[in-house]
Amino acid sequence: MVDEQNRTLPIANVGRIMKQILPPSAKLSLEAKQRMQECATEFISFVTSEASDKCHRENRKMMTGDDICRALSALGLDNYAGAIVRYLHKYREAERERVIASQNKATSSSRDEDIEESDQSGQPSLQADETPTPLMNIFI
Amino acid sequence: MRQAGSYSGILMSGKTGPHLLPLARIKKIMKKSGDGVKMISGESPIVFSKACEMFIGELTQRSWMVTMQGKRRTLNKEDVASAVMATDLFDFLLNLVSEDTFKSS
Repeated sequence: MVDEQNRTLPIANVGRIMKQILPPSAKLSLEAKQRMQECATEFISFVTSEASDKCHRENRKMMTGDDICRALSALGLDNYAGAIVRYLHKYREAERERVIASQNKATSSSRDEDIEESDQSGQPSLQADETPTPLMNIFI
Repeated sequence: MRQAGSYSGILMSGKTGPHLLPLARIKKIMKKSGDGVKMISGESPIVFSKACEMFIGELTQRSWMVTMQGKRRTLNKEDVASAVMATDLFDFLLNLVSEDTFKSS
């Protein structure tokens, strides 16, 4: 299934996230997954535009994680902003540790540090304490 | 203070963290969001991966509540549309789901 020529998030991944939330006995129509796929893609575009406008106004060329957090807040999605700020903090700490650790290793092979292509970087897993939670708790 | 266990294992091994959404695709979508989007920091797609997870989770949960109200077990696109309409924060999605909202429940 071609996901709109790669212009949307992959439907398999979206479906997997949805299933994590739903009870095991729940069924999910294909059209619901497609609609969610489109909504999530639009979410990215919507927040990115807001973040990009701000960067422009401040004459900055590079969009950062902080810009995305601020955009989330500006668009009324404060709950997400709060959680993402904490997530970003943990991620940056982990990255610092990773860099220090690889510098300390005498025979470490050089890692691709090109930040524009982050797909292969050793991103820390933060899934352990970020398990899916019911709606009530999701915004703590 | 270092955290021991699988967390540091992933850091040291250099394996890609198990993100639920592909970072390259997220980056592509970000770049298509507008002409002004030129440079994106390496952490931006990672931030969005998390944010999308939360967004999909919330919209799924709200949609499922609509499904249950209708005493059904299959979440369909009309349920997603209803959840969008019922949530002010998701007004930016109204156009996307408008075609799903005129069907009789």
